[in-house]
Amino acid sequence: MASERMDASAGAGSTHAGARRIVHADIDAFFASVEQLKDPRLRGRPVIVGTGVIASCSYEARRRGLRAGTALREARRLCPDAVFIAGHAPTYRAFADRVFAVCRDLAPAVDAYLDDAYLDLTGTERLYPDLFACGQLLRARVRAATGLTITAGIASNRMIARLASRGAKPDGLALVPPGEENAFLRGRPLADLPGIGPRTAELLQSLGLETIADVATMGADALARLLGAPGRLLHERASGRDTRPVSPREIPRSIARETSFDTPAADPALIDAMLAYLIERAARAARRLGLLARTIAVHVEPDGERRVEARSTLAAPSALDGVLVAAARALLARAHPRRLALRRVGIELAGFLAAGGEQLDLLVAREREAALAGGVDRVRERYGHGALIAGRALALLDGHARDRYGFVLRTPSLTK
Amino acid sequence: MLIERLDEPVKVRADFQGGAIRPLLFRRGATSHRVVTVNARWEDREGQQKIHYFSVSVGSGDVYQLRFQAGDLLWFADSVMMEA
Repeated sequence: MASERMDASAGAGSTHAGARRIVHADIDAFFASVEQLKDPRLRGRPVIVGTGVIASCSYEARRRGLRAGTALREARRLCPDAVFIAGHAPTYRAFADRVFAVCRDLAPAVDAYLDDAYLDLTGTERLYPDLFACGQLLRARVRAATGLTITAGIASNRMIARLASRGAKPDGLALVPPGEENAFLRGRPLADLPGIGPRTAELLQSLGLETIADVATMGADALARLLGAPGRLLHERASGRDTRPVSPREIPRSIARETSFDTPAADPALIDAMLAYLIERAARAARRLGLLARTIAVHVEPDGERRVEARSTLAAPSALDGVLVAAARALLARAHPRRLALRRVGIELAGFLAAGGEQLDLLVAREREAALAGGVDRVRERYGHGALIAGRALALLDGHARDRYGFVLRTPSLTK
Repeated sequence: MLIERLDEPVKVRADFQGGAIRPLLFRRGATSHRVVTVNARWEDREGQQKIHYFSVSVGSGDVYQLRFQAGDLLWFADSVMMEA
C-alpha cells in the first residue's frame, strides 16, 4: 500500500482556514478486481475483462504493458497466459453502488461515476479533524463492505485530489495539504492537466512549455491569446486552482448505452435490433428520471477501423422509444454508410430537460405512445427489464446472449 | 478458465442467522457440494425482487455463482468457473 503526505508534520490533514476538503476515491482495476474477488484462483494472475478490447485489466496484466482500450488480439499476443473474461456489467454496477454507499455514509456530498467518486468533506472538521485518518477510514470501510481496494487522493480541490490518487495507485492514500498545490504540480508533465488534448499539448510544447509549472508561468493573458477562452481556464488549473463543486447531479449530462459484438456484426437487421434495444434501455433510464432528451448521438466502430459518430438535435425533446429509434436510424445511416461489419455500436442521449414542459399538441399526438411506454415501464419495474422484448429488438433473439436483465451489453451502462 | 452458464435451480442449505445469508451446502443433480469459502457476495434487483448473489468455492476447487431470489425464496446455480 502506498501512503503518503506531502507534509509529514502532525496535523497536515487537519483544518486550514477556508480550504475545501475533497477526496477522490478510485476503485483499483475495478472489473478485474471484482473477478479476482469472486474467484481466488485468479489472484496474482493477469486478468483481462472485455470483448473486442480491454475494458479493465489487473495490475499483473498492466505490468506486461496492457492497458484499457488495447485490442484483445494484441493482448493475447503480449500476455498469452492471461485469463480472459467477457465480464458482466450488472455485477460491476452492484459493487460500485456498494462502494458509493460507503462514500455517502461518510461525506455530505458525493459525485459518483463508473468506478470513481469525489467526496466533499468541507464542514466536517469537527467530525473528521484529521483528513488522512478519514481517508484511511474510507478505504478500510470500502474493503470491509466489498473486499475491493480503493486509492484515495485528498486535497483542496477536485483536480489535485484526482492527481494525488492517480499517483498513489494501487491501494494507496495520498494527501496534498492546502497551500502545497503548486509544489505538488511543479515538474509534472503537461498531459497531467485536465483539458489538454494531443493538439494543445503539441502547440504548447512547440513553444517550449514542457511542464505544468511552465504553463502557470506563462500567464493567463498570454494563454488566452494563444488558446482563446480555454486558455484562462488552463492557467487556473496549472496554478492549482479548481473551483468545480462536488454535488450529486440531479440531471445527468448524458445517458449512454453501448455494446461490442463477440464477432463483428454485419447483418443490418441485427444491427438495427441492437440499436433499437440500446435506445429502449437509455429511454427507460431517462423516463425513470423524468427527463426528455434534446440531442441524440449514434457511434459505431467498424471492425479494424476508427470509431465514427453522428449527432443531431431532435425536433422536440423526447424520451419515447419510437421517436428516438427513428432519429437513431437516421444517424446510423450517416455514421455507417458502407455497411461494414461492426465491432461496437452505441447511442447517447443528452441535453436533458425535465419532463412536463412539452408542447400540448406534441403530447396529444404522442399520447398513445406515452401511455404504452408508461405501461411497459411499470411491468419492467416490477419484473425486470428482461421481462418484455420489443418487437423491433426480436432479431437479437437469434443468437445474442441474454440473461435476466435482458440482452447482454458488453460495455457497462454509463449515466454521467 | 472456463465459465459454464447453468441457470439451474438448486437445493441449498444455508445459514440465515444475524441477518446475513451464508450458503453451506448445495445439491446440483445427484451431487452435493460443500461450500468451503464464500469468496464474494453482492446484491441486485430484478424489478422489485431483491437478488442475493454469492461466489463460492466448493470442495472440488471449482467456483460456483449462486443466487437467492428473496421474492420467491428460490436458489439457482448461475454458473461454474473451472480451470481449463
